[in-house]
Amino acid sequence: MVTVFETFFSEIATAIGADAVNRSEETLSRYGENTMPGGDRRPAGVVYPASTSDVQKVVRSANAHGVPLYPISTGSNIGLGSRSASSAGQVVLDLGYRMNHILELDERLGFAVVEPGVSYQAMYDELVRRGNKLMLDVTSGPPQGGMLGNALDKGAGYTPYFDHFGFSCGMEVVLGNGEVMRTGDGSLNHERLVNWHTSKYSFGPILDGLFTQSNFGIVTRMGVWLLPRPPAVQSFHFVFPEDDDLEEIIELARPMKMSNFVPSLFRVANDLYLCGSEGESPEYRLSNGRKSISDAGRRALQQKHGLGAWTLSGAFYGPSAAAIEPQIARVRDHFMKSGKASYIAHEVAARIPPLKVAINAFSGIPSLGELGLLKWRPGGGNIWFLPGTPMDGKIANEFQRLCRKIYEDHGLDYTVMNVCGARFARGLHVITFNREDPDERARADTCYRRMSEEVAKRGVFVGRAPLDYHDMHFAQTMPGFQQACAAIKKALDPKGVIAPGRYGIH
Amino acid sequence: MQTNFTPSQLRDPRIAEANAILQTCVHYGFCTNTCPTYVLTRDENESPRGRIDLIRAMLEKGGAPEPDTVRHLDNCLSCLSCMTTCAVKVDYVHLIDRARAHIERNFRRPLGERLARTLLARVLPHPRAFGAAMALGRLTRPLWPLLPPRWRSMLDMIPPRVAPDVLAPQVFRAEGAVRKRVALLAGCVQQALNGDINAATIRLLRGHGCEVVIAAGSGCCGSLNLHMGREEEARAFARQNIRAWGRVRAGGLDGVIINASGCGTTVKDYSHLFAREPGMAQPAAEIAALARDVSEFLWLLGLRKPTARVPAYRVAYHDPCSMQHVQKVSEEPRALLRAAGFEVADVPERHFCCGSAGTYNLLHPEMAKALGERKATHIRSTDPDIVATGNIGCMTQLSYYLDRPIVHTVELLDWATGGPKPPALHGVTLREPAPAASAKTGAAASTAIW
Repeated sequence: MVTVFETFFSEIATAIGADAVNRSEETLSRYGENTMPGGDRRPAGVVYPASTSDVQKVVRSANAHGVPLYPISTGSNIGLGSRSASSAGQVVLDLGYRMNHILELDERLGFAVVEPGVSYQAMYDELVRRGNKLMLDVTSGPPQGGMLGNALDKGAGYTPYFDHFGFSCGMEVVLGNGEVMRTGDGSLNHERLVNWHTSKYSFGPILDGLFTQSNFGIVTRMGVWLLPRPPAVQSFHFVFPEDDDLEEIIELARPMKMSNFVPSLFRVANDLYLCGSEGESPEYRLSNGRKSISDAGRRALQQKHGLGAWTLSGAFYGPSAAAIEPQIARVRDHFMKSGKASYIAHEVAARIPPLKVAINAFSGIPSLGELGLLKWRPGGGNIWFLPGTPMDGKIANEFQRLCRKIYEDHGLDYTVMNVCGARFARGLHVITFNREDPDERARADTCYRRMSEEVAKRGVFVGRAPLDYHDMHFAQTMPGFQQACAAIKKALDPKGVIAPGRYGIH
Repeated sequence: MQTNFTPSQLRDPRIAEANAILQTCVHYGFCTNTCPTYVLTRDENESPRGRIDLIRAMLEKGGAPEPDTVRHLDNCLSCLSCMTTCAVKVDYVHLIDRARAHIERNFRRPLGERLARTLLARVLPHPRAFGAAMALGRLTRPLWPLLPPRWRSMLDMIPPRVAPDVLAPQVFRAEGAVRKRVALLAGCVQQALNGDINAATIRLLRGHGCEVVIAAGSGCCGSLNLHMGREEEARAFARQNIRAWGRVRAGGLDGVIINASGCGTTVKDYSHLFAREPGMAQPAAEIAALARDVSEFLWLLGLRKPTARVPAYRVAYHDPCSMQHVQKVSEEPRALLRAAGFEVADVPERHFCCGSAGTYNLLHPEMAKALGERKATHIRSTDPDIVATGNIGCMTQLSYYLDRPIVHTVELLDWATGGPKPPALHGVTLREPAPAASAKTGAAASTAIW
């Protein structure tokens, strides 16, 4: 008997080509892999569309046969799901293989238009090829990560254009019913669109946000704004010795951002976030992964790398290093007045690998350095817990103590970077664990759940979430939000074929 | 990754090493997005992660590998882009070399393939034999259509023009005061194809106060054989070099200079090649520690002031994989070219292989062609006057797909510091650079807004 999937794949092969369907054993096995505690999720197949029209054909066929699709861009969302679908048996729609073109690059108006497979590295290469006039904002994650996927998942970087969704403009979306919609000024029913990627505030409701962290449609094209590349980028770094210094750091950082005196975001990283990228935990094998690293072990690492319990990094942009010097002097006076901080200058930081990562990030240069964090413990387990704190030192420090304790209760290593804006800091908590050790895997899972519950009790939600926890977090939302999401899903994807379960929306 | 070798298998130090490497792979999959064969095919078995799984299964089973496994492992370029990208730093280079040696010992290839590989292994390392083989190949051109496709595609790769110059053992005196004494690996294939590279290297080094020794007994570095799984042959070549340079060391030796980056990668890894050979481990490690790419060494010496007569031509610098992914030498050649007065353009997708990869373009012409064309498109997109790189393999491969002159980095540095114009530029009309070439860069152009 021919199954629904056989019919579906056969139809797709006819519609967009046999080589657009991959159901090899190895492919199914690897596309199901991820780094989370809950296990792999083997898909039913992988489809490679080459155009928006191909995506429409696939979505229509999925509607006809009731086949669930799971779109990915480059599949580099390590710690949040990789290429894995929401649940086993979905069909991964891999947009990165063939839809990886930079469709437009306007150097005068400073924007690019990208397909889902365009990586940070590809965009950087193209900008350099054109003379390096513009700078893109990058994450400190994989250079091969996709710009469009990151923006839709509310990812961020560190330069003035850090907010990847906020600095996107104009989308083309294939809705769950197979229809194509353009957002913003692109909604004009005309062949020649002038302001599609320059104006967000066009006629009618701003629909773009519907396609972030959701499953209402498949974004096949997006505009991204780019900053004119500054001739000079000068970073500054301050090291603080104690864990509880976080309170003062946040208080010092806030006015610098509120006034926008410092144009970059602040990276306030703890010792393990920085040192962890330089090798495996020196104590992991001593306790077989059952204990957190000791305070003595942390101090040894801090000394080895010339860092402290916390390191704050930021950057200025200007015509030359000399022109920026007065700003550096002012920020230096500001942070040094606590009497606790020690200063690391740009030129020195450039020779310290974990700080070089920050410099690259502030400079819009994709780099690999931070990926080293993933080998802090063996076994390849990795989940990211991404709550936030207001830029209030007392509250931030309370969360620091709370989460540090929960990590330690689970024998895991507290690894965090607070990425600070004017009013809010996102706490990038990395839970690295040995996925091949069932006990450690279970501890990582409980640790994540416990932190989620505890911060929620204090009125704080997460900003992004690993696939394993989408349902759990969705259950934390209010009924009105849930009903609205369900109604939108029903309207735009009535048969529920796009990523059922993603971000808890079924 | 969990492995299942028996205690008896693990007593073999080669398997023990492979086992340790295999266990570090955790299937993050970052490698897939930068692996040329995976990016082009989207076949998991054509990715480093997939190949690592195949190697594990092959070595655990022992004995003759499956033909499909051999095909997928053969298809690996050993470009090692995966090692740059890997978050957990899997030592893929030594794993794939181990796998290739296992295949060589345990797998009987079809006759034509065996003959082709044996011929390459026996001829390429010897410049005079290689030169004679190319001459014979050219003479028999009318017969090529009668040959099987594999042989035809190999013969198609014979360059139309070569400039051989096989150097005899000798010492080139330094100009002026002696700052350093170095041994130069004269190479094998490079000497048969392009003697201009060694000539430029020697002039440059002498001009920078180096005494340059071509050591008696030195020759092929062993790289070509090593990457075909012929480990013992590779060791034999390497052993000769270590002994030859060891003799030179008696008179003082500040560096072993290599100007073909594929060879440099192998010489720098001699310590691993001889790690388990009593009596050789120490000298191999000492030679490996002295090995430097010519650009690394020149950067340390400091490039002497360029003469003013070479205009600031726009040079696209192509990173050979062996230099960027293994030796991690990518800034020095650029910095030297800039110091010499050229405008240097970075090539998009620079992490990608051009398809040369030792004998890869001879044995896998289709994939090599796809990669060569892709690289040529990217290089052309930078609108260069000249293309520079640091490996004869890349130079030869790119010459099939590019219509711009391709030279070794040292040829440009030599020219800019008083040497002759590179022969590849003779008869080529180069654009006169704009007076303020640097104004092309956005940062400078947009200073006003900052």
